[in-house]
Amino acid sequence: MRMTCKPQRGAIKHWLVTLALVCFSMGAHAEASLYEQIGGEAKFRAVVDELVVVMLSDERINFTFAETDMPKFKQLLFEQLCNITGGPCKYTGRSMEESHAKLKSTNAQFNALAEDLYIAFDRHDVPYRLQNKVMALLAPMQRDIVK
Amino acid sequence: MRWQHLLWVVGLLGTTPAFAQSWFGADEGKLPLTAGFSDVEGAGGGGLVPWATITGYGTSDSWGANAHLTTVQLKDFELSAWGVAVGAFDRVELSYTKHTLDATGTALDGLRVQQDVYGLKVKLFGDAVYNQDSFIPQVAVGAEYKRHDGIDDGGSVGLPGLVSPTQLGAKDDSSIDYYLAATKVFLAQSMLVNLTARYTEANQFGLLGFGSATEDYSVEIETTVAYILNRKLAFGAEYRSKPDNLAADEEDAAWDVFVAWTPTRNISLVAAYVNLGSILAPVTTQDADQDGLYASLQVGF
Repeated sequence: MRMTCKPQRGAIKHWLVTLALVCFSMGAHAEASLYEQIGGEAKFRAVVDELVVVMLSDERINFTFAETDMPKFKQLLFEQLCNITGGPCKYTGRSMEESHAKLKSTNAQFNALAEDLYIAFDRHDVPYRLQNKVMALLAPMQRDIVK
Repeated sequence: MRWQHLLWVVGLLGTTPAFAQSWFGADEGKLPLTAGFSDVEGAGGGGLVPWATITGYGTSDSWGANAHLTTVQLKDFELSAWGVAVGAFDRVELSYTKHTLDATGTALDGLRVQQDVYGLKVKLFGDAVYNQDSFIPQVAVGAEYKRHDGIDDGGSVGLPGLVSPTQLGAKDDSSIDYYLAATKVFLAQSMLVNLTARYTEANQFGLLGFGSATEDYSVEIETTVAYILNRKLAFGAEYRSKPDNLAADEEDAAWDVFVAWTPTRNISLVAAYVNLGSILAPVTTQDADQDGLYASLQVGF
């Protein structure tokens, strides 16, 4: 949310000060990104590490990561989560469509990974309503990942 | 005979994910809570309202199923329901539910009516969960064929000849409800919103027959709004308008406030305060709302 606060000419001084304070506090509130609300880089890296542990023990999907370069996967997933949640990161990987083109991913596998991410968030005490805000950003990727 | 139904439902508890997967090709691919619950008429939905979602955990590559055992304890009536529903390819849903309504109070105490509800639902378009970047909901059409099984034990209330809802003024003892449902999960808000329009002539869900000498089909509106508290728990409220066809009944809208809990992905429990409005008030001289507890045990994959 962006607020424009342009005080009118002739307004009395303390009113201006109050308005400035209100604008400042609203602006500060509006600019707390989802990335920061969740806990920034340390939290997201911990969640990604946890997700890898959970998904590699999840028999529904672990076999699909048999050939995956895990350090690279972790870095790219961190970048992507950071990027979509408004953090200061650039995603340097391929598009979801391109990186999943040959995998023949199913809805069940997509949902299993989502469930594992929920578990990883839970284990790092990220509030469920914030987890869902991240999921809302990830969910539309289903169209590119599951063909 | 109720214990047999219970046993049968509990028997399905043995249908573990691995069992379902290896023997039936069920993928159990949906997220917990997203398989929906069974509504009181057996369709995938909330307590009183069918949703556009297809029952069970099967994704578009697979199938799923749900069984429910439901009791609604009202002031002067008790509604028992049990049923099964199968969802295929996240596209088509077939369901069957048996209703038994017992009068437990007023001059009608002892009277029993029963009906069968056969449901068909087809998803038309949209996805309630994935398309979070769009406002387009998941939309489905459905039909419910309801067949009244007659009135039992009229003799116990001094009406030995009372065997059919047509004697209460209903035009028919069977009919079809048609509905259009739109469901959307707003993940960023952790909310589920459903809106259903039903074209029906059912009196009290069909338990008092269908239509009357002067009234038949009308469009009724039903809605569910739920807040998803975590991966296992949601709460919300529902409203369902109903026709008012019978002179012997002053039928009101129904509403409920519910909690839905999925302790493990194969078991769900729904508990609600439900208010169905007055039932047969001109006959029973009980004008008060028939309200009370709704409880439903659901098992599925």
